[in-house]
Amino acid sequence: MAPLLQVERSTKRFGGLIANRDVSLAIEPGEIVGLIGPNGAGKTTLFNCISGALHPDEGRIVLDGADITHARPERVCRLGIARTWQVVRSFGRMTVLENVICGAFRRTSRVAAARARALELLAFTGLAGKEHVVAAALTLADKKRLEITRALATSPRLLLLDEAMSGLTPFETTAAVELVRRIHGELRLAICVVEHVMEVVMPLSHRVVVLDHGEKLTEGPPAEVARDERVITAYLGDRYRGRA
Amino acid sequence: MLGALVALLYPIPFERSGQIYYETVGFLVLLNAMLGIGWNIIGGWAGQFDFGPSIFFAIGAYTAALLTINLGWNAWLALLGAMVVSAAICAAVTYPVTKLRGHYFAIATVAMWMIAQPIGATWPLINGSQGLFIPVATGGGFVHGVLTMEFPGRGKGLGFYYLSLALFTITLLAARAIERSKWGFYFRAVRDDQDGAEAIGIDSRLYKVIARCLMAVVFAAGGTLYGFWALAVFPDQVLEVNWNILPMMAAVVGGLGRLWGPVLGAVVLIPISQLMATTLGTGPLAGRGIDLIIYGAIIMVIAGWRPNGLLSLPWSEWAARLRGHASASGKA
Amino acid sequence: MGLLYALVAVGLAIIWGLMEMINFAHGEFMMLGMFGAWGLSAWLGWDPLITMVPLAVVMYGAGVLVYRVLMQKVQRGEMFTQIFATVGLFFFIQNGVVALFTSDYRFINASLLTRLSGANLTVGGVRIGVPLLVGGLIALALFLILYLLIDRTDFGLALQATAEDRDAAMLVGIRPQRMYAVAWGLGTALVAIAGVILANFFSVYPQAGLSFTVLAYAIVALGGFGSILGTLMAALLVGVVQSVTAAYLPPAFKDAFVFASYILIGLFRPQGLFGRF
Repeated sequence: MAPLLQVERSTKRFGGLIANRDVSLAIEPGEIVGLIGPNGAGKTTLFNCISGALHPDEGRIVLDGADITHARPERVCRLGIARTWQVVRSFGRMTVLENVICGAFRRTSRVAAARARALELLAFTGLAGKEHVVAAALTLADKKRLEITRALATSPRLLLLDEAMSGLTPFETTAAVELVRRIHGELRLAICVVEHVMEVVMPLSHRVVVLDHGEKLTEGPPAEVARDERVITAYLGDRYRGRA
Repeated sequence: MLGALVALLYPIPFERSGQIYYETVGFLVLLNAMLGIGWNIIGGWAGQFDFGPSIFFAIGAYTAALLTINLGWNAWLALLGAMVVSAAICAAVTYPVTKLRGHYFAIATVAMWMIAQPIGATWPLINGSQGLFIPVATGGGFVHGVLTMEFPGRGKGLGFYYLSLALFTITLLAARAIERSKWGFYFRAVRDDQDGAEAIGIDSRLYKVIARCLMAVVFAAGGTLYGFWALAVFPDQVLEVNWNILPMMAAVVGGLGRLWGPVLGAVVLIPISQLMATTLGTGPLAGRGIDLIIYGAIIMVIAGWRPNGLLSLPWSEWAARLRGHASASGKA
Repeated sequence: MGLLYALVAVGLAIIWGLMEMINFAHGEFMMLGMFGAWGLSAWLGWDPLITMVPLAVVMYGAGVLVYRVLMQKVQRGEMFTQIFATVGLFFFIQNGVVALFTSDYRFINASLLTRLSGANLTVGGVRIGVPLLVGGLIALALFLILYLLIDRTDFGLALQATAEDRDAAMLVGIRPQRMYAVAWGLGTALVAIAGVILANFFSVYPQAGLSFTVLAYAIVALGGFGSILGTLMAALLVGVVQSVTAAYLPPAFKDAFVFASYILIGLFRPQGLFGRF
């Protein structure tokens, strides 16, 4: 089966710093891929290149046959990629419901239809009852949930989650993981997760890709990657050796 | 509802007493309120601050004037023509500028306005600084006046008052419809978080252009109305700083981004200027821009202490307290 | 001429480029400088070259005052409110002057520089008016002082630090409010000096400010934000371009060209020619 997303030798430089060097990666439809690596490895830069916020200096990014290497973010979204951000973003002055409605307009132009879809999704992600809260007033966990809901409203085929669990309490983290599982299970999306919290990423992912200093170190099933010497040296530390 | 009634009946006492001047004040209030609503679309909803909207006011006035004078078009057709031309020009000049954000966009709009001034003063097509004059037919009753936007003689104040009321109402209703539509959502999304908006599929550049063009259309309509009222279009007049600032002030003072904000603002601000003009009359301080000084002071006060405008004051709280007092003293 | 533009612009460069605060009323302070020079010249007979110093001090104080009373409040708010507040300031100052002095044009007659105004110096085939040269040299000197101040002293470093990251600056003991107030004061003083010098050559009237304000913005944008040197270069460039275009275009358009290039720069090279951001 042809991959949904294909990143071919993507390179991105910021002045003298090479944030991504020759990174290649493929994501199949419906799979969950974890993207890990120490801080500064270039994970968010890669996300930015995929989603169109940045453009790679070299290489290609192809989504289901369409070349999106230099596409603007709105086109990338239209083609089926949605993302959340490392530092959570929302339309602060609009209510929760209005935020999601904005996303829903990607698939319909009628306000009533968008509203209905938004309400549906809010119920699905567990924010029912908070529709009329102004986004800026939400807790961090709820803001992240809102971001995800809004992204889902655009009916993506691939969802990019950038550190969706950071800053959450253990309780909130468990809830978030459960949400991701549910999204994957019921909506059948491909998901790519950037995470630092190992206990989250490893069990969740079908496959893990490791970046270090801008380059891809290795990839494979979580258990294998966790045992890989190079990965351990770069990042995981001895505690995780052998953990599956 | 009460407001609508007041608005409709407003000119009548003045008609009776022959003080037509006040009808003109009403006309100006409504005109500025309408422009304020237009500005609110780009400034309040889309969050892109345009400091040079008067170029579209001028484009509207000139287009309508040219269509009427040179091609003999009916006033209302000319109005439509003006709106279309204004939108077209706006789209053309705004698209490149949409890459700019925040302050830079604002300065660019001012720059556009400053470029427009010498063009207005020297372009032969519009007769440069000598202006264009709109011919008015004498005679003709009220209905004829409505059809052609010409009210010779005494009917002028009344006629233009109702014309402006009509256009204002249309603008208000249109704005309300837009606010609740997909466009309304998208504008506010671009304002709150442009990158986030793009990530959910909103073409921020396109919507900035749309918002500004909507404003351009409203300003063009206003400019046309003004042109027919003044019966002449001069570059200094229509590109004046006031047409830039007053609608924006009305919107901000009343409540930026709120539908009725500009209306409240216009109702508060315009009479101040007129009051200054009448009380200072020809005295020593006349023509010294006292009204602008007051405007300046008001702007600074609002900016410093009540940036969300007058509508954001806790009216309902105060009303409740008043009612509380009333009932308490009633009981006691 | 370009050097004088530089002076006007650099005041702005500090407030906007470094501090990211928009000031619509920038030109108005220049106009106040002009009026101050004219006033003192007409009533007390003091030469503007001398009054430059006390006026600069007074305007510095004015700048700090404006910051403390108004700008401090709006700084934390939305960007629009900041811009809007300075628009209010613009109206207030400009019309305040109109109210006090009417819009009539006024001239300085008896200053050193106006007396020199016939004299020309020929340098390398280009004829330069002596008064402009003197004005330009003063501007250059001030620029140099400013550059040294910002780039070479601890104080300048503190200003830059506050511009880059206000909270971090607080952590190392810099008081941002004080920095901002000083920046405002400096910016205002500089532009007022520019006004004093310009008053020797141009008529003095209340509406003089606005086109200079926009011109200053264009220059700062052109030169790049945060770069004092860039502003200087840009200002010189603008001065030259203006003289050149004045030869070919009708006079009303001389500023228009500069504004148009502002828009173009914004499109193609938003960080300016030498910018750091």
